[in-house]
Amino acid sequence: MSAGTVVAQRLPRVTRWTRSAVDGADRIGAQAEFYAKTVVSVGDAVIRYTSELIRLIAQMSLGTGALVMIGGTTAIVGFLTLSTGALVAVQGYNQFSQVGVEALIGFASAFFNVRLIAPLTAGVAMAATIGAGATAQIGAMRISEEIDALEVMGIRSVAYLASTRVAAGVVVVIPVYCVAVMASFFAARFGTTFFYGQSTGVYDHYFYTFLSTTDLLWSFVLALVMAVVIMLVHTYYGYNASGGPAGVGEAVGRAVRTSLITASVVVLFVSLAIYGQSGHFNLAG
Amino acid sequence: MVSTGIVAKPFRGLGGFFAMALDTLVCMFRPPFAWREYLLQTWFVARVSLVPTLMLSIPFTVLTVFTFNVLLVEFGAADFSGTGASLGTVNQTGPIVTVLVVAGAGATSMCADLGARTIREELDALRVMGVNPIQSLVVPRVLAATTVALLLSSLVILVGLAGGFVFSVYFQHVTPGAFVAGMTLITGLSDVVVALIKATLFGLTAGLIACYMGISAGGGPAGVGNAVNETVVFSFVALFVINVIVTAVGFQVAP
Repeated sequence: MSAGTVVAQRLPRVTRWTRSAVDGADRIGAQAEFYAKTVVSVGDAVIRYTSELIRLIAQMSLGTGALVMIGGTTAIVGFLTLSTGALVAVQGYNQFSQVGVEALIGFASAFFNVRLIAPLTAGVAMAATIGAGATAQIGAMRISEEIDALEVMGIRSVAYLASTRVAAGVVVVIPVYCVAVMASFFAARFGTTFFYGQSTGVYDHYFYTFLSTTDLLWSFVLALVMAVVIMLVHTYYGYNASGGPAGVGEAVGRAVRTSLITASVVVLFVSLAIYGQSGHFNLAG
Repeated sequence: MVSTGIVAKPFRGLGGFFAMALDTLVCMFRPPFAWREYLLQTWFVARVSLVPTLMLSIPFTVLTVFTFNVLLVEFGAADFSGTGASLGTVNQTGPIVTVLVVAGAGATSMCADLGARTIREELDALRVMGVNPIQSLVVPRVLAATTVALLLSSLVILVGLAGGFVFSVYFQHVTPGAFVAGMTLITGLSDVVVALIKATLFGLTAGLIACYMGISAGGGPAGVGNAVNETVVFSFVALFVINVIVTAVGFQVAP
């Protein structure tokens, strides 16, 4: 009987605890390795698997399966930001009119939509549509052993499946985020001027006074960073799905949980880095 | 013929969803209530959602508080950052994070579990044995999702406020007393009640969507994956719409 077995028998709880800690560290290492491999092979994917990349871009922007019926990813992202933009109108107008400054709702739309609401909502919507879709596809391929078949045929599976999806995500996020920002602006303006009856001139004046191009560009950077993080997490969970048909569903669920958490933490730190302690904000213009 | 099938499919799905929701409502009040399944599912959903709740509510609130504080410092009103934090957390961040947790964590795992049972034909086996799957599986799951969503929303608000407090006081140097004093300035009982009502509706809707998608899953491994994917998308869309409507109604009823 070796020393390790004796220790394991004498101290079962400590052994179990150590093993789970080691397993956790192992998982983090495996994920980091996968992400590094995916990012490194993006060049490969663009050069060698161009047609697959283009097919994925088309599929991601308009969606697959039942999602095509309701207009695909772009429509869902637009719809979700439309509803959060309407929230700015509802919440902002009622709250501001309690203090008597409801004229400033245009400012709230230009400030909170750009810095906070549009990037976060678009990220959430992307994780739910493009990301979860990628996990479901790759996971189903893993379960039906198509990925092994790819490897046998000499196709680099990480580059072909994961890197192409990350690259496609980065390409798709730009038009999708344009739709998201426009939808949130439109919903806030429509809600304030149409439902609450504020004059459009007042709204537009404060909106354009405080709409800053720099903030808008930074919020695109936020959306891009989120797209990369979300696609990496989702392809990892799909690529490593296991446990039969049920395993794919579990992998999708786990991927959504992880990517929502990672994306919001990343957004927090990137915005702290962008806006810093002072906030880069001048009321006087 | 083919085209009518394509056009009719979403409507058939919608109809099926409402039929199941009605069945669930009827079965909810019909005696044998599956207590054991209800407790197990409540524990399951709570266990799955607890870590995402903590990990999501902190960054969301800190981001909101940070953006608010940038504004308040510019006005020279940093002492009111508690007001902004409680306003953002109770009225919007709390419900939105609850949406993300309930739909992204609870509903996905529930749908994955039910979908796996469906494609293993366990539901058909139950029907053969004369057990109604709606009564024995769906009702306890929907009620469990509702209960957990209600409980989670209070946790989200508490964790969010604590996170906002730590961030404002220790990183942005707001006076702690002023933060606490400002918290109840605008936010009151009616806002908290509206937040709890929202959470209950979120849990109910997300549970119904997850159960419908799980029960109607089919087509092997890809089928379950797609069902979970559609659960996330549809429940996000439904819950965001509910959030806007309840917010607007809440302001009309209790300004």
